[in-house]
Amino acid sequence: MKDIVALLEQHGYAVLAVIVFLEAVGVPVPAALALIAAGAAGAWHHLRPEMILLTALSAMLLGDTILFVLGRNTGWALLGFLCRIALNPESCILRSAESFYRRGRITLLFAKFIPGINSLVPPLAGSMRMGYGQFFRLDLLGASFYAVAYAGVGYLFSGVIEVIAKQAQIVGRAVEWLLFIAFLGYVAYRASIYWKHRKYRVVPRIHVDDLARKMAAGEGAAITVADVRSHGYYDPGAKRIQSSIRLEPNNLLKTVKEWPHDKQIYLYCT
Amino acid sequence: MREATSARVAHILREHGFDAYVIHGGLRAWTKGGYPLEPVPSDDVVLLPTFS
Repeated sequence: MKDIVALLEQHGYAVLAVIVFLEAVGVPVPAALALIAAGAAGAWHHLRPEMILLTALSAMLLGDTILFVLGRNTGWALLGFLCRIALNPESCILRSAESFYRRGRITLLFAKFIPGINSLVPPLAGSMRMGYGQFFRLDLLGASFYAVAYAGVGYLFSGVIEVIAKQAQIVGRAVEWLLFIAFLGYVAYRASIYWKHRKYRVVPRIHVDDLARKMAAGEGAAITVADVRSHGYYDPGAKRIQSSIRLEPNNLLKTVKEWPHDKQIYLYCT
Repeated sequence: MREATSARVAHILREHGFDAYVIHGGLRAWTKGGYPLEPVPSDDVVLLPTFS
């Protein structure tokens, strides 16, 4: 906190703009903390409160607009990229889209307060063809709530923040421990994913050149090529491997019940 | 993990006695290799909801 306050005092609005912009485009930086610190700097007359809000809103709206335009122009690809950290990226896309559609535009008003969701909502709105005017108005409202809430806390409790800043060593130690615990949690999470997927690593794989050769050599009758991507993943006009069939992973055993066991099955996703 | 869905499905199929393989690199590698593609049939496409 002491470092952020000192940084804001020295470089002011530029630092605030960069931190808030980075968070808006999905980089995990502490924008809320920067807003609180900026609010406190406003109370101490190092920064002007109206400029803090203007800077924060401009940076947030710029970041959100970039993600919105990318979502609009890349279909579901950007959302697929953002969902890669999920255990099941394809159902992540489907669930996010359905949830956003069901809860409607209200999501835009509070999404900024939820880490992870904040950077998913603008590309979702773009992918789902929300009008930019409507998106901008709702995003402006949501961004205003966010900026006023955190900068307001900093402004109103600037005295407490001053005390915290003076006791930065104690706070710094606590933050170090929190970061260490968060790091351990992340390592445990990655290890659990690795452990869960270790059995899948022994599944044999085929190179695309070898498969294409097999198909060209007329072995097609003894081969089934199956697309196991989720339904929700597809954009209109999506392509798949020629002569492949759809195999729904969630309805797998029912579908293959009648399939002959003497055929080789080659599976692909994205 | 790359190929997570296809590897999971192949593993299940192999457990049930099928001779299943994963295409290394998936659709991306196939496309990059310049091999033939076809449009996904409209019956298989479930469009996600849109506001328009």
